[in-house]
Amino acid sequence: MPHRAPDAAPALALRGLVKRFGAKLAVDGIDLAVPTGSFYGLVGPNGAGKTTTLSMATGLLRPDAGTASVHGVDVWSDPTAAKRMIGNLADGVRLFDRLTGEQLIAYTGRLFSLPRDEIVARTADLIDLMDLREAAGVAVADYSAGMTKKVALACALVHAPRLLVLDEPFESVDPVSAANIEDVLRSYTASGGTVIVSSHSMDLVQRMCDHVAIVSNGRVLVAGPVAEVRAGSSLQERFLELVGGRTHAEGPAWLRQS
Amino acid sequence: MLALTLVGVCGIPGIVTTLGAFVGLVASGSWPVALLASVVCLPIGVLTCVVASRTVASFSSRGRGRLGNVLGLLGFGVLVLAGPIVTGLLSVLGDRGGLDTDRVGALIAGLSWTPVGAVWAVPGDLADGELWVGLVKLGIAVATLAALWLLWRRNVVAASVSPKRRAVSGRSGRLGWIGLAPTGPTGAGWARSLSYWLGDPRYLRNLVIVAVLPVLLAFALGWQVQTPIFAFVVVLPALLLGLVPYADVSYDGSAFSTLLATGIRGRDDRAGRLLGALTAGAPLVVVVTVVTVGLSGQWLLLPAVLGCGLGALLAGLGICALSSAYLVIPVPASGDNVFKRVPGQSFWVGLALMGFTLMAGVLTAPALALAIAAVVTGAAVWSWLALVVGLLIGVGVAVAGVALGGRVFDRTGPVLLERVRATSGY
Repeated sequence: MPHRAPDAAPALALRGLVKRFGAKLAVDGIDLAVPTGSFYGLVGPNGAGKTTTLSMATGLLRPDAGTASVHGVDVWSDPTAAKRMIGNLADGVRLFDRLTGEQLIAYTGRLFSLPRDEIVARTADLIDLMDLREAAGVAVADYSAGMTKKVALACALVHAPRLLVLDEPFESVDPVSAANIEDVLRSYTASGGTVIVSSHSMDLVQRMCDHVAIVSNGRVLVAGPVAEVRAGSSLQERFLELVGGRTHAEGPAWLRQS
Repeated sequence: MLALTLVGVCGIPGIVTTLGAFVGLVASGSWPVALLASVVCLPIGVLTCVVASRTVASFSSRGRGRLGNVLGLLGFGVLVLAGPIVTGLLSVLGDRGGLDTDRVGALIAGLSWTPVGAVWAVPGDLADGELWVGLVKLGIAVATLAALWLLWRRNVVAASVSPKRRAVSGRSGRLGWIGLAPTGPTGAGWARSLSYWLGDPRYLRNLVIVAVLPVLLAFALGWQVQTPIFAFVVVLPALLLGLVPYADVSYDGSAFSTLLATGIRGRDDRAGRLLGALTAGAPLVVVVTVVTVGLSGQWLLLPAVLGCGLGALLAGLGICALSSAYLVIPVPASGDNVFKRVPGQSFWVGLALMGFTLMAGVLTAPALALAIAAVVTGAAVWSWLALVVGLLIGVGVAVAGVALGGRVFDRTGPVLLERVRATSGY
């Protein structure tokens, strides 16, 4: 799908999302507007509700309240149309790993009804891009963690989505592949695609993202262009200042060597 | 390895084996020589059992190649058939001059020279004064234990030096069923489902059972298969095969989220899964039908049995297309041991499965009634009528299941994902 001129609606708009698991309020009213063409970082401590938020935004987890829409299409009232525009890389889920890498990409292409010859061409491109040529004919169950991540990313890209939602995309991916993928993602946003990435790595977010939202305890603490959020200090410092939870820096006395 | 052996002896199977061995000790109590020999031999026997089980386990945990799966399934088949094979052999023995004690005695004498029996025979031989025979058998027993130990050690060393050195390169460009599939979610689902039915032991073993069950029954009938009853032997396994994917989403595990993320419509997902299962199951049912009807010699009944078998399969799959849009059950994860017990099978799910089986039975009943009419009257027209009715009902149920199940799935998809995450834990 070619990238059209920027439209009025944001690539992803979340309004008042709430999700409760038993007694725990995992997401407590999150609002977020991700502008088209932006590279948006979502950061927060473990258990902040990032993954839950992204699951609700991509139509995998029904919110208790609130709405999510992709380029103006409501994810929960028209899931098929909305999901066609989303490329989703979830963290910590299995793939259909009895299939080989190549089969898995071709399978995903067919799920999106791409023409068969188009699938052949795109599969080849993605396999080269992810440097998986040698392992293309091997069952995904036998892949390393990094290779599995890469083939999952390839599957998220195969239908040329307008919005990419990536949960911890570079975890255990080798540095060379990570750099290659970074390049591809940059040119993707430059051409009008939108990326929203959730990560623990402040360095990665500061380096790659132009927008960032800091999430803690199911709420957005601050959101906006990276420069504004940083407000002069590094993103890491700003994050710690907002989220808190730092212990004193020296560590326990018994650990010190002198 | 010593630790594992000790654990094996102390575990429940080990203790039971030891107790069994002690019964032998008690039996030899009236011969002092035998009693003395037992003190040496019984521990060797128990150890051999434990080490043998470990050795077998060390083979099965070496990688999960396709060959390993096939061997495992074959072993499973032989195990299932062990009873009939033994009774079959005994009856063959019995046919030739009655099942007299001489023959059994000869059989046991033969067994006592094999690695399996040698150690248990030593005390008896010594008690009979056959010193040399006893010593040779003791030698066989010790050699068996040593060979098993070495084999086990080889596997342990191989596993710890190069832990599961899997092939990380393979021929590319082989898309298998995926490559054959037309584009679109139904085609993709069909190819994925079919790949799993033919490659994943969790599905594959059900196909094996369909092939094995008639053999089992033939053994049970003592190969008296020239009866109308035997002609219908395929119907029950076909019905059960259709009900295998009654909670199909469970087998996806969390991979179901990658499917849900594509925004697949329920109808397409249901149709893909049903067609995949049908492509794997229908040819098997047809082949088994032709073979069993052929063996029974009741060719007149071929259309009727086909109608009942395929009708039952289709009806079952149609029911599953609806039920698997509601149900998620705990199942072994993909790549896990198929025979692993998973906790959390609930009473209600069992009850539901029983209900589905009854439902499939009721839906097969009209074809079966016509088939019985064919048996009674011997008129071919009833047989053909059974085929038509069986197929019509089966196809009708399948289509209805896809339509209804699809509508339900559109609503329950995210709920299914939540439940899969909660029950499978991966």
